[in-house]
Amino acid sequence: MSETPVEDHEVRFDEASPVTGASRIEAAYTAEDHGQASVAKSGSTGQVFTQTYLPWTGTLNPRWARNWAVYRHHMLGLVRSGHRPWPILIRVYLVLVLIGSVGDIFPVLLGSLFGEGLGQVFMVSRDSLYAHVLGFFPRNVLYYPVVTALIVGTMISEDRLNGTSALYFSRPITRFDYVAMKYLAAASILFILCVFTLLVYYTVEVLAMGRGWSWIVDTFPLLLGAVAAGMLLVVTYTSLGLAMSSVSTNGFFPAIGLLALILGSKSVAFLVALIFEQDALYLLSPYDALANVGQALVGTESNYELPWTWSLVSVVVMNVLSLYLLANRVASMEVTRE
Amino acid sequence: MMPDLGQVGPAAEPVVQPVPEKLPAVVFDQVGKTYGRIHALSQINLAISGGVTGILGLNGAGKSTLFNLLMGRCKPTTGQVRLFGIDPWQDPTPYGRVGFVPESEKLHDWMTSFDFVTTFARLHGFTRDEAKVEAERVLDFVNLKEVMHTPIGRYSKGMRQRVKIAHALVNDPDLIVLDEPLTGCDPLARTTIMNVVRELGRMGRTVLVSSHILGEIERITEQIVLLHRGQVLALGNVHGIREQLDRIPHRILIHCSEGKRLAKAVIDMEHVHGVMIPSEGVVDILTHDLGAVHQHLPSVLIEGGFKVTRIENPDDDLESVIGHLVGGGGR
Amino acid sequence: MGSSTKAWSGLDRKATAVAEFTLRQYRTRLSTWVVLASCVVALGTVLLFYIDAMNDTVESVDNDGDGLFDEDGPDFPSSVDATSTTFGYDDDGDCRESDRPDGAKDTNNNGVVCDAILRQNWFGGSAILWDNDVDEDPNEEYFVEEATHRAFLLGYGKLGIVFLLGIFLPLFLATGLIRGEMTSETMHFLLAKPIARGEVLLYRMLGYLTLVWPASAAVVVLSALVTGFAAPGEGVFRFEDLGIWLAILLATWLALLVYGMLFMTLGVMWKYGIVLAIPFAAWEFGMAFLSMGLPSSPLLRVSVIGWCLAIIDAATALSWSDQEAFIAYTTDYAVWSHTVVAPGESLGFLTSQAPFEISATGNIAVAILVLLFQAGVIWIIGQSLFKGKEIA
Repeated sequence: MSETPVEDHEVRFDEASPVTGASRIEAAYTAEDHGQASVAKSGSTGQVFTQTYLPWTGTLNPRWARNWAVYRHHMLGLVRSGHRPWPILIRVYLVLVLIGSVGDIFPVLLGSLFGEGLGQVFMVSRDSLYAHVLGFFPRNVLYYPVVTALIVGTMISEDRLNGTSALYFSRPITRFDYVAMKYLAAASILFILCVFTLLVYYTVEVLAMGRGWSWIVDTFPLLLGAVAAGMLLVVTYTSLGLAMSSVSTNGFFPAIGLLALILGSKSVAFLVALIFEQDALYLLSPYDALANVGQALVGTESNYELPWTWSLVSVVVMNVLSLYLLANRVASMEVTRE
Repeated sequence: MMPDLGQVGPAAEPVVQPVPEKLPAVVFDQVGKTYGRIHALSQINLAISGGVTGILGLNGAGKSTLFNLLMGRCKPTTGQVRLFGIDPWQDPTPYGRVGFVPESEKLHDWMTSFDFVTTFARLHGFTRDEAKVEAERVLDFVNLKEVMHTPIGRYSKGMRQRVKIAHALVNDPDLIVLDEPLTGCDPLARTTIMNVVRELGRMGRTVLVSSHILGEIERITEQIVLLHRGQVLALGNVHGIREQLDRIPHRILIHCSEGKRLAKAVIDMEHVHGVMIPSEGVVDILTHDLGAVHQHLPSVLIEGGFKVTRIENPDDDLESVIGHLVGGGGR
Repeated sequence: MGSSTKAWSGLDRKATAVAEFTLRQYRTRLSTWVVLASCVVALGTVLLFYIDAMNDTVESVDNDGDGLFDEDGPDFPSSVDATSTTFGYDDDGDCRESDRPDGAKDTNNNGVVCDAILRQNWFGGSAILWDNDVDEDPNEEYFVEEATHRAFLLGYGKLGIVFLLGIFLPLFLATGLIRGEMTSETMHFLLAKPIARGEVLLYRMLGYLTLVWPASAAVVVLSALVTGFAAPGEGVFRFEDLGIWLAILLATWLALLVYGMLFMTLGVMWKYGIVLAIPFAAWEFGMAFLSMGLPSSPLLRVSVIGWCLAIIDAATALSWSDQEAFIAYTTDYAVWSHTVVAPGESLGFLTSQAPFEISATGNIAVAILVLLFQAGVIWIIGQSLFKGKEIA
């Protein structure tokens, strides 16, 4: 056993070193402290270690690249293994909904083959653009709310259950980024199913029916209105869903909760409007509020007696409350498994 | 069979085969279990009854699979499992005589241990009052009586293990199966649990204990089943198994200040066929007959006046046993 | 000693043990309370609207211009007996005292002058055929309140209670009955006992039913009390509606049973079995509306909620034998030309014919049998799946 004294700034850890209470802590990196160097001080009894962290000697990717990795992990997991494992049943359902969502392009294609008369009802018009995004059955009963429910069901709660959120939070990614990327992933999926298919529908009509520029100029504002309504729907459903997902650790409680919220509030509002002719509860139902705003945006006939501005306020309030809840929950979320 | 209404005539001959007095508690008959392409277990032939038996093996050897088959959590791909003569997969009746202490730490954290043991005791057919009495008895046995009205969520790991053991003992079982009971326990809890297991074995129950930490099994029992890669590698008494491996010499390690002189003195002893000096002050004696060498060694040491600080038999424990059997030398 | 217990014996002790355990597990979970509270809040809000509506006064209108108000109460026939039963009275004498020939006074061709008859529509429901100039001056207060009350009972019962409670309570509470235990690795405490796997399913179900059946009964009883006392009509309490409430309770209980079995079994089948349960719930939502819009659709015969709502429809025919005539009267344009929405519109939408052309009790019996059969089939499937499940 060698007894060579050890210099303060030179700490060795081989077998021969005496046990002095000195240590050196090297950690890879952190996001927040902009790469300060760190060396541990050797302590005698009664002294507390000051620990600071060494920066990783490699180059840290810019923040957007790290976030892109998280986003990509969620999106690629749908189609490839080696990324976030979406259950096979969810993937199947997404495919089915995708097929259902583009259901209105087939009559257009048929109509282009056999003349306008056949597929007239499915041609682009205010009503059909509105219906693509905010039609009640089946899109807003079977497709979009259910898809949102299934996607956000385990987005955050599964991470907490499996302890993988600890993996995220020990990496240079802030909690805001973590949530934002999950939000973006869920919203992207909904976007593809709802708004992207709308654009496809419009494009197919233009190409298949040989619509000219004047037609496009005429209908483009309608398309924009529908896209805006669709974006509003995507954002609202995602906010509500993720807010629920951040509240509960139980497996699919958020999914059922979202479905219950959307369909349940719709049922109750419908009931009250039908029997008592009072439309007030439509403000509390996310679907109806969105539909009211959507009807105003696209310019179709409104079947609500409420002014659409009130519904817009309601939608905004729902979003703000959900995002606030989400931000709060994630900021205070403990990442231990227990 | 018609009842004999006339009640006349001689007594009928018993047609039932006499059941053997003592059915082995656990029988594995040519059992194999495959998951896809992985052979978790193959060709397991075991009959276990009475006393404490240790099921040993490295991680992945198949110990948990063995217990899962026994407890009806999965079905054997080939062969038959019999618990008190009954196939547990088909008929859960034998579980009335079995207590199972699972490996997983998950318990119902919101229940108190008293509630937990009572509730699941009632599944054995106890009434509420009977269950309460029995629960108190077993919780006392595992030293949890003072805390039995506290929720399990507040228990330490050792206490949780003891709750699981209490739950397994509440129906006074004839067979107790413990899957890695000592994992994660602090030394005090380990001693308590080991004492409990030894006590159960002494009371005549059949106890199966599995572990991959060989030292702890050694302290509980001498009867082991050694599993490796899904097959039974060895079966029986630890020492007996070791004795059988005569091809591989036993080693005696002696720590002494005068290593070279000791080596010279020892090499002339009978039954010693090799001496090594791995490092200064350590003499490694190789022999085929441990008992004989140990008989003569003290006189050699005293005659030579050697100052011996330590004598070890590094091979005569389970790590070496496995090491030898699995391939390669001992420690 | 307990060690003599076999599978499927000592049922009462094992059943009560597991059921009690299940109830206590529910009690400790926040989600149970959130769900029950949300349901109570949602339904309570709707009840408040009802109470508010019942306290509103309805203005009387002199429909036939004879200077009197509301001469006509519910004097339409209580059964639809096509051509023979007549009603309606020409209060102001426009028809009777006119000098048209008799043939012109009997435009509905039933042999009686100046009256009205009830005629069944080919697409379901009935309509009124008036003789010319027979004006009605309906008692607005009576008809509007009665129509609202009946519509409320049906809508609230069908959508609010049978659908919302019947689907969402099982979705929240029944899916985790088995799958929850498997996920939290505590299943073996239930299984490594002398208890058959089928028993475990049954007793867990029992625990779940012990929670949801009384909870839904409490909601139904409370609603029945509120609507019974606040309802229009003479008398302090409206006893005629009790039949409907009983039917609602029965339909809800059966819905809770069948959906509970189904979702529990989906949980047994796959780890993510609930992924199937969610679209199914949305689909049943669509079916609920279909049952009101197009009650004869054969699709309803394979859904669960279709049969549950059929029980209510059959009970409606029993309790309110004049329902069809009432709807025909309260949706008649001639009578209600002065209002924006005829009072019977919503009631007409919410009322459906029972599925079969047999008596009402017959329909109820068939529906109960079908639902119990569905529950039984699901249980058999669930039990055999669970028996074959490894490392449960």
